[in-house]
Amino acid sequence: MTQEQQLKLQAFLDGELAESEAREILAWTQRDGAAAALLSELKNTRQAMVQAEPHLGVPETREFFWSKIEREIRRQEPAAAAAPGASRPAMLRDWLLPAVAAGALVLVAAGLLVHFNVPKPAPETAADADTPTVETTLANSDATTYRDASEGTTLVWFSPAADDNPAPNKKPTAIN
Amino acid sequence: MSGQNYSTTDDEMLVQAARRGELAAFEELVFRHRDPIYARAFSMTRKEQDAVDLSQEAWVKGWQRLEQFQGDASFTTWMTRIVINLCLDHLRKQKRQRAESIEEMDEESGGVERQMPVVTVNPTAGLERAELRVKIDEALGRLSAEHRTVLVLHEFEEMDYKAIAKTVGCSMGTVMSRLFYARRKMAALLADMRKIT
Repeated sequence: MTQEQQLKLQAFLDGELAESEAREILAWTQRDGAAAALLSELKNTRQAMVQAEPHLGVPETREFFWSKIEREIRRQEPAAAAAPGASRPAMLRDWLLPAVAAGALVLVAAGLLVHFNVPKPAPETAADADTPTVETTLANSDATTYRDASEGTTLVWFSPAADDNPAPNKKPTAIN
Repeated sequence: MSGQNYSTTDDEMLVQAARRGELAAFEELVFRHRDPIYARAFSMTRKEQDAVDLSQEAWVKGWQRLEQFQGDASFTTWMTRIVINLCLDHLRKQKRQRAESIEEMDEESGGVERQMPVVTVNPTAGLERAELRVKIDEALGRLSAEHRTVLVLHEFEEMDYKAIAKTVGCSMGTVMSRLFYARRKMAALLADMRKIT
């Protein structure tokens, strides 16, 4: 029996041959005693190994075995291991990206507010500070603010829109 | 989740927690799967301390590569591939440090396996499984690392010839030749043990 034939026999056992080739090998083993005997030996060995893989356990306690792994992880990745939940990829995914998104949202919201809600400049000089001012906080708002710095008083009027209520009854509210 | 008891958490959730940096979750994974990973390292190296060191190294690599675990195979299968690759690197280093064995020379020159008589009686017939395990383990220890590796990958890891060739880094012809020799040698060793007992 040539080496090639032997290896073909083994490939047949392991299901590595094409169907036509497998049929040829099967026919060969049926008419050749030596081939059949070798196939039988290979099959027995394979079955024995598959059925009886040695079961082995780590010859160390859980704590001792883990301690070396943990030490090595902390040595190689001190920042992440020292603060669980803060490994760089995980932190980026879990915290940094949402934070950036939230920050962008806040900036957009702030931009919109500034665009639609431009307050009148606050008095900058002492003289201005003593002069009472009347201001409307929104362009189409029905709230009017009266502020008198010398009196330390701020009054805000809320009234419904003119279209909704033809009789304007402004109700002053003293804030301070 | 730090300090949480993970004993009832499934592997998938443990992997997710470990990816977030939870060492306690990873410790639970190690506790659950450390034996098969160690066993694979031992079956390839046959040295207890080497197997412990390599399996621990595999767990450290597993932690570092958790993001690469896709969940296509089980976590144990994924970890087993890591430890197999570490063992192969270890065996290659060892091989470079020693002269080739007589068995390897025989393999290269045409193979003593071709001259071995066929074992006609099944040497493992009638053995209790525990007894068979001991004998298989003993016989594996008497194979060269190259032959044992191919046998372990084929019979225990159920890899086909192509996958073994890719993992080990050799041709399919070499895989077939080594597997054939390893099986024939195993049969002869098991038959010898049967005669002694």
